[in-house]
Amino acid sequence: MESKVILETRGITKDFPGVRALDSVTFQLRKGEVLGLVGENGAGKSTLMKIFSGAYPAPTYEGEIFVEGKRCNFLGPKDSQKAGVAIIYQELNLIPELTVAENIFLAREPAFGKTGIIDRKQLFKKTKDLLDLLTIPIPPQEQIKNLSIGKQQMVEIAKALSYQARILILDEPTSALTEQEVESLFKMINSLRSRGVSMIYISHKLDEIFKITDRVTVIRDGKTVASKPTSEMSRQELVSLMVGRNIEDMYPKQAARISDVILEVKDLFVDHPFLVGEKVVKEVSFKVRRGEILGVSGLMGSGRSELVTSIFGAFPADCAGEIYVEGKRVEIGSPYEAINHGLGLVTEDRKLFGLILGMQVGENITLSCLERVSWRQIIKRKRENEVISRYIDTLKIKTHSPETIVNTLSGGNQQKVVIAKWLAINPKVLLLDEPTRGVDVAAKVEIYQLMNKLAGEGIGIVMVSSDLPEVVSMSDRILVMHEGRMVKELQRNEATQEKIMFYATGGR
Amino acid sequence: MKNQGKDNLRQVLIRKYGNLIGLVFLIVLTTILTNGLFFTQRNLINVLRQVSVNGILAVGMTLVIIIGGIDLSVGSVVALTGVIVALSQPLGTIPAVILTLLAGAFIGGWNGFFVTKFRIPSFIITLGMMTIARGLALVFSKGQAISGLNDSFLAISESYIPPAVSMAVFIFICLAAAAVALRERKSSAYGRKVFAVDIISVLNVLLIAAAVVILVWLIGFRGMPMGVAVFLTIAFLGAYTLNQTRFGRYIYAIGGNEEASRLSGINVKSVKFLTFLIMGALAAVSGMVLAARLNSGVPTSGVMFELDAIASVVIGGTSLSGGYGSVGGSIIGAFIIGTLNNGMQLLHIDPFYQEIAKGIIIIGAVLMDRKKK
Repeated sequence: MESKVILETRGITKDFPGVRALDSVTFQLRKGEVLGLVGENGAGKSTLMKIFSGAYPAPTYEGEIFVEGKRCNFLGPKDSQKAGVAIIYQELNLIPELTVAENIFLAREPAFGKTGIIDRKQLFKKTKDLLDLLTIPIPPQEQIKNLSIGKQQMVEIAKALSYQARILILDEPTSALTEQEVESLFKMINSLRSRGVSMIYISHKLDEIFKITDRVTVIRDGKTVASKPTSEMSRQELVSLMVGRNIEDMYPKQAARISDVILEVKDLFVDHPFLVGEKVVKEVSFKVRRGEILGVSGLMGSGRSELVTSIFGAFPADCAGEIYVEGKRVEIGSPYEAINHGLGLVTEDRKLFGLILGMQVGENITLSCLERVSWRQIIKRKRENEVISRYIDTLKIKTHSPETIVNTLSGGNQQKVVIAKWLAINPKVLLLDEPTRGVDVAAKVEIYQLMNKLAGEGIGIVMVSSDLPEVVSMSDRILVMHEGRMVKELQRNEATQEKIMFYATGGR
Repeated sequence: MKNQGKDNLRQVLIRKYGNLIGLVFLIVLTTILTNGLFFTQRNLINVLRQVSVNGILAVGMTLVIIIGGIDLSVGSVVALTGVIVALSQPLGTIPAVILTLLAGAFIGGWNGFFVTKFRIPSFIITLGMMTIARGLALVFSKGQAISGLNDSFLAISESYIPPAVSMAVFIFICLAAAAVALRERKSSAYGRKVFAVDIISVLNVLLIAAAVVILVWLIGFRGMPMGVAVFLTIAFLGAYTLNQTRFGRYIYAIGGNEEASRLSGINVKSVKFLTFLIMGALAAVSGMVLAARLNSGVPTSGVMFELDAIASVVIGGTSLSGGYGSVGGSIIGAFIIGTLNNGMQLLHIDPFYQEIAKGIIIIGAVLMDRKKK
C-alpha cells in the first residue's frame, strides 16, 4: 500500500562558506509514516531540518520543497508552522516557571475579548481537552519545572499538535529519557501514526530506528544515499550506508592483560542533592584492575552517574566511604585532588561539564594538566603545544587547527577533546560517564578502539553507560545498579542486554 | 575557497581592529575639530595622564569581567584609598603606599570572599561595597579634602623619568617584546601559513611601529610621566598574566564555564578570590596616582569611575557574560573614553552635554561590537 507523499524536496543544495552541507538532496515523507533519518554527525541532517523549519529561509538554498504537492517557500519559522511542520528539538523550548497550559498556548492565550486579560478557565479547559485527546496524563496547571524531561517532551509535542502540525520532526528525542519514558514516547508515536500524523525520527540509536520507524532515509556527506522500508534493511547494511564503509565490528573489544587492583571503593554513600536524608548511592563497593574495563549500568536515576562523579570528588560534602588507589587509602576532597591521585572523569554532559565551549581546542586539552606544562605560574608554550599536538594526533581529532574554538567541532570531535584533556594528565584510572552519547558511529568506534588501547597500557576504566549493546560488548565486567544499590555483578561471558535490564529494573 | 580566505581576512580585520580603527578615527576627528590643538605633545601627555587613572582600573576590571563578575566599588575605593594615603603621609611615603595597597587588597579580598564563600552575585556585593567605601572615605576625611602630601609621594604621578632613561627602558621593552613574539611564532603547534595571519602580523608590526613613534615623540618632550609609566607597567603585567600564566588561563576558563572548570581540577574559588583582590589593589594604585595628581586625598573623587572602567572594557570587546576579552582591547577602550573627554573639554562643550555624548558613544560602540559578531 503506497500512501500519499506529504513532504518532498527536489535538489536541495545548501552551501556554507567553504562547505557544501547539502548536495542536491531528494527526500520524501509519506502521509502517516514514521521515517527514520540517520547519518553521522555533520552528514547534513540538522541542516535539512533547519530548512524544513524555516530557520534557513528560502533564498539561502537552492531547490524546491513541496508540501502535499504544493510548492512552498519557507521564509521563516512562521511559514513552515503554517504549512503544518513542527520540530521537537533535543533541547526543549519550554519556560520552566510557567504551567503546562501557559506554555502550550504561549502568545495565543484565550482572552476576554480584546482586553488581553487571560481567560484562565478557558486556557486550562482547552489544554485539558488537548492532553486528553492525546492521552497524556499531565495536569494543565502543573509547572513545567516539576515535570520530568520525558513529560516535558510530551508537552512540547502537544504544543506542536495544537498548531495543527501534520508533520512532526523529532530530533534525538530519547537522548535524555529513561527506558520507561522511551516506552511511553513510542506509544505516543504509534497513536499519532494511527491518527495520520507523519513523523521524521532522527536518532543515532539504531535499535530505536528498527523498533519504531516504517522507512529509513540515510544521509551521508550531504547526499541521500538510501531510502527504503526499515523491514528490508539490516543493521550491518544501515551502519555501512551511514559511514560509507563496512564496519565489521561496531564494538572492537580486545582483551587486555588484567592485573592488580588499581582502584577500590568501599561502602560509598552519596546524599541526594535535594532530598534531605535520602541517598542516591547506597553502600556501593567495587574494585577495578589495571587493564580492565568495568561497565556500570542502570536506569536513569539509579545513581550510576553520581557514583563516578562522587568518586572524583565533585561533591565531597555529600559523600561518605573509602577510596583506595593502588592499595593506598586516599581522601578526595575536590576534582583537583582526584587528578593528583591519577583519576580522570569524562563527564556525561560535555557542553555543561566537560568543555569550555568558547575556548580553543588546545586550551581545552591542557586545562587539567597546565601545571605540568608550566614553570611556576608561567605556561611554557613549547611544552603545551607538544602536548596538544600529541593528543590531536593520537585521537585523530578533526580540527582546522589547535586554535579553533571547540564549539565549532562536531559532537564526536568535541568528545575526543574531552577525552584528550583527561589523557593529558596520564591517568591511572579513567571514569567515563556516557562516553559515546551524541557521537556518530565512526567516532564511536574510534573511542572504543581508544579504550582498548588505554586498557592495554594498564589504565583501569570505569564506563557508565545507558547504551546496553555498548556495555555488553565493551566491558570485562558489569555492575548493575538499581535505586542507588549495586544489585548484580555480571562477568563478560554471562552478560546479555536482557539480563542487565532484568536486574536494572529491580529483578532478583 | 579563495573567496572564503578573503572573507575571513575582512572579518578578522574588523574583529581585531574595529575599536582601534574607531580610536584612530576619533583622534583624527578631534585633531581636526580642535585645529591641531589635540595632537600636541603637551596635550597628548595630558591625555595619557588622564587615561592612566581609568586605565589602571580598566586592567583590573578586564580580569573581573572575563571571570564573569563585575566590580562596582572601584570608584569609591579610589576615593577611600586616596584619603587613606593622604592621612598616612606622616608615616612616611613608603609605609603609606604599602598600607594603602593593603587596604585596597583587603577590600577586594572582602568582595571576593563574599562572592566565593556565600555565592552572592558580585554585582550585589560590590554595590554594597561601593557605598561602604564611599562612606568610609567621608568618615576618615571628615568630608574634607586632605592636602599637603609628601613631595616624595607626589612623585608617583608628577615626576618624569628623564627622556634618555625612559627611551632606553622603552627600547629594551620593545626588543624584549619582539623576541617573545618571534619565539611564540616559531613554537606554534602547527606551522600553518595562512594568508590572513601574515597580513595581520604585518599590520601588527605597522601599528606597533606607529605607537612607538608617537610614544618616542612624546617622551622626547619632557620624559615619561611617572603615573603613565605605572599605568603602562600594570597594563603589561595584566596582559602578560592573562595570556601567559595559568592564573590567566583559569580566569578565561572559569568565565567560560565555571562548573566545567571546577571538574577540570581548577580551584575556582581561589582564582575568583584572587581576581577580586587584585582588582582592589589596582583600585588602590589608581587612587594613589589620582591623589598625587590632585595633591590631596579627596573623599568625593572617583565618582562614576567604575562606569568609565566598565565602559572601557566593554568598548574593548570583552564580553560582559565572561570568558572572552583582552587587556589590549580595554586599553584602547580607555583611550577612546580619554580622547572623548579631553576633546570635549578642548572644544568647550557644556559638561552636561558631555555626559550625554559619552553615553551615546558607549552604546554605539557596543552596538558595533554586536553587529560584527
